[in-house]
Amino acid sequence: MTNTMILSWVTFLYFGAFVFYLFRLVFGREFWGKAACYAVLGGLGAHTLGLLLRWQESYALGIGHAPLSNFYESLIFFAWTVVTLYIIVEWRIKNRSLGVFVLPVAFLLMAFASLAPNISDRIQPLVPALQSNWLTSHVVTCFMGYAAFTVAFAIGIMYFLRDIPLFGFIPEADILDELIYQNAVLGFVFLTLGILTGSVWAHYAWGSYWSWDPKETWSLITWLIYAVMLHARYVRGWKGKRMAVLAIIGFVAVLFTYLGVNYLPGLHSYLQS
Amino acid sequence: MPKQKNPFWSFFASVYLTIILLVFTVVLSIVGTLIPQQDAAREFAKGIPPGLASFLQTMQVFDLFHSVWLFLLMLLLSMNLIVCSLNRWPLTWKQFRGAPFSGEEGLFRGLSPECIFLCDKDVGIMTGRLEGLLNRKYQKISKSEEKEDTVIICGERGRYSRFAVYVVHLSLLLLIRGALTGAFWGWEGYVNIGEGETADAIDLKGGKGAKTLPFTIRCDKFIVAFYENGAPKTYRSDLTFLKDNKMLYQGPLLVNHPISLEGVRVYQASYGSSPDGRASLAFYRGGKEGKIIKVGPGESFSLPEKEGTVQIVRLEENLMQMGPAAKILVRSGQGEVSFWVFLHIDKIREMNPGVTEQVPMFNPALFKPYLFVLKGIEERYYTGLQVSSDPGAPLVAAAAVLMMVGLIGTFFSSHRRIWIKIQPAGEKTKISVAARTNKHPVVLDREVRQLTEQIKVSLEKEST
Ligand code: HEM
Repeated sequence: MTNTMILSWVTFLYFGAFVFYLFRLVFGREFWGKAACYAVLGGLGAHTLGLLLRWQESYALGIGHAPLSNFYESLIFFAWTVVTLYIIVEWRIKNRSLGVFVLPVAFLLMAFASLAPNISDRIQPLVPALQSNWLTSHVVTCFMGYAAFTVAFAIGIMYFLRDIPLFGFIPEADILDELIYQNAVLGFVFLTLGILTGSVWAHYAWGSYWSWDPKETWSLITWLIYAVMLHARYVRGWKGKRMAVLAIIGFVAVLFTYLGVNYLPGLHSYLQS
Repeated sequence: MPKQKNPFWSFFASVYLTIILLVFTVVLSIVGTLIPQQDAAREFAKGIPPGLASFLQTMQVFDLFHSVWLFLLMLLLSMNLIVCSLNRWPLTWKQFRGAPFSGEEGLFRGLSPECIFLCDKDVGIMTGRLEGLLNRKYQKISKSEEKEDTVIICGERGRYSRFAVYVVHLSLLLLIRGALTGAFWGWEGYVNIGEGETADAIDLKGGKGAKTLPFTIRCDKFIVAFYENGAPKTYRSDLTFLKDNKMLYQGPLLVNHPISLEGVRVYQASYGSSPDGRASLAFYRGGKEGKIIKVGPGESFSLPEKEGTVQIVRLEENLMQMGPAAKILVRSGQGEVSFWVFLHIDKIREMNPGVTEQVPMFNPALFKPYLFVLKGIEERYYTGLQVSSDPGAPLVAAAAVLMMVGLIGTFFSSHRRIWIKIQPAGEKTKISVAARTNKHPVVLDREVRQLTEQIKVSLEKEST
């Protein structure tokens, strides 16, 4: 299938972009930054194309559905949202040092999707319960939320590396703090929307909008952690290191919601296929 | 405020309490996903010391999400939210109503140099012009004339966003209310109905017994279609809902499209087939084919010329790994004989030559001069319905909408005000720009910079 071939090439482009971002730091020349940026843009273009082709191919197979239905597709889409958000952030803050921290995430997601032995990249038909537009909105909003949390996490990590002389290129603490906050907010709003659309779907498909299955419960845990983080900032004025710590803790919860719960039984375990 | 003297009040007015309660909720939820809950807990309890198991049982650890603990946490959170909001309300109201020129001491003190500049026009002209400029981006423009020809104009935006936090918190209260309503007065259960059968009661979830429905459900037909790989593609039941023998509603029920009747929702949850369908049985007499007859287990039919009657005694989907089979009993003048008739008899003979001679029970020609052939077993489908009622659901849905509105208001808008002071400074006129916001100072800074740029550009254009 062409789409999987394109998508595995995208993996290399992202890896190349990461290497270029690294060169930019080591050699201190903006040339490498530009090269990296082009690699990311090229990768993102191909990535988008791959997703669209996959969508189209599923129709050609007569089982048409948005490419958001199994674990492989969710990894690919996750990487796509992370890179898209990254490009927007890079463009807004006009600073390329973030790339060294975000691109590896995208690269790893893509590589994991392509290489892990028990992940099937076949386009599979949807069982009736998954044939719902609510499910599509649910997946899209959740992954936009996850992407924002991923960027907030990467910036949180940068915050701690700032003290090391080698990483002198990292922007001011104030800028990082603002970025962590903005991304956490964006993630929080999308996660809220993701949980709500998921409940609407569950209401139609499973007969109850909330059934405390492990994935639901962990998304609630994640939501509460970020709610605590935002309150700590709004009401207690937390900034800097504390926010960075919370961004990292929050991301651990995101990862567990996404991957960890697959080892616990529940409704959402269809993602294992 | 005298209220704050009350220890009860100040306990619930604390944001520390909020954070602690939220952290407790997180901990409870984590434990709830690590320790098996409800049905799964029963297995788990067998593997640990009985003393510990009964302790955990008493502490409701095996059903944390319906436990007193969660209930208490939600109750405390609600109190916390209510008290906090009431506590804060007077201040918010004051800020909302606040006149543009009060309570902003030192507004123009310590301004950055970019926000102050001089121009040639007199105060009157500049006032009119700047008012026009502010008018384009701000909703509420007010003006105050100060002493010595000084004028201050104020533009304001996003005043209502001060209420957005209350909307979020109100939505949470509603959500908790709705969830509790559902937990106390809602119910959920399952029922399997075979094609052509009816049911008027369901099995409640969690072994809580049965419940009679306010109507009777009849499954008229069940249809399922499969993908090539064997996974189900669509399935649906044609249902009729009856009450007092009158039809309430009739229509198809599909996955993801529940039917709602009298406050009860019915979902297409699963399906299955049972072997108590009917067998299609053909018989030959001396090589001549008779007709094909459909019979269910226990039913019988007579052979032509009163040569005997045939009764189906058993139907098996898969007898001894040899596929579908029907056990028949033939009664005639010669007595009774009973034997199995297989669907795949040719294949069975091929794999085990001579089997029908060695095992008379497997010989479809045991009753002479007849030969019986099983043409198939009709699978009888049953539809698996989930039936539930949740009087809290509308509240929760309202809360969801409110929450999104509130969140967007909280995070993506803010109450911004800009003041421009216009005062004579010798021959010239001095203009100073000051601004305040309740959040997002970065956004406001950008706005102020844009505004001052605009003013400067328009002045320059005129002077050239
Ligand atoms: C989960 C349950 C929640 C509880 C129990 C809760 C409780 C509280 C409390 C007690 C305060 C302090 C009010 C004060 O300063 O007097 C507060 C403030 C605030 N909460 Fe929440 N909150 C919850 C969820 C949320 C969520 C999900 C948001 C998301 C936007 C939120 C946004 C805010 C904001 C922005 C403030 C600051 C209000 C201000 O300073 O004007 N809260 N919350």
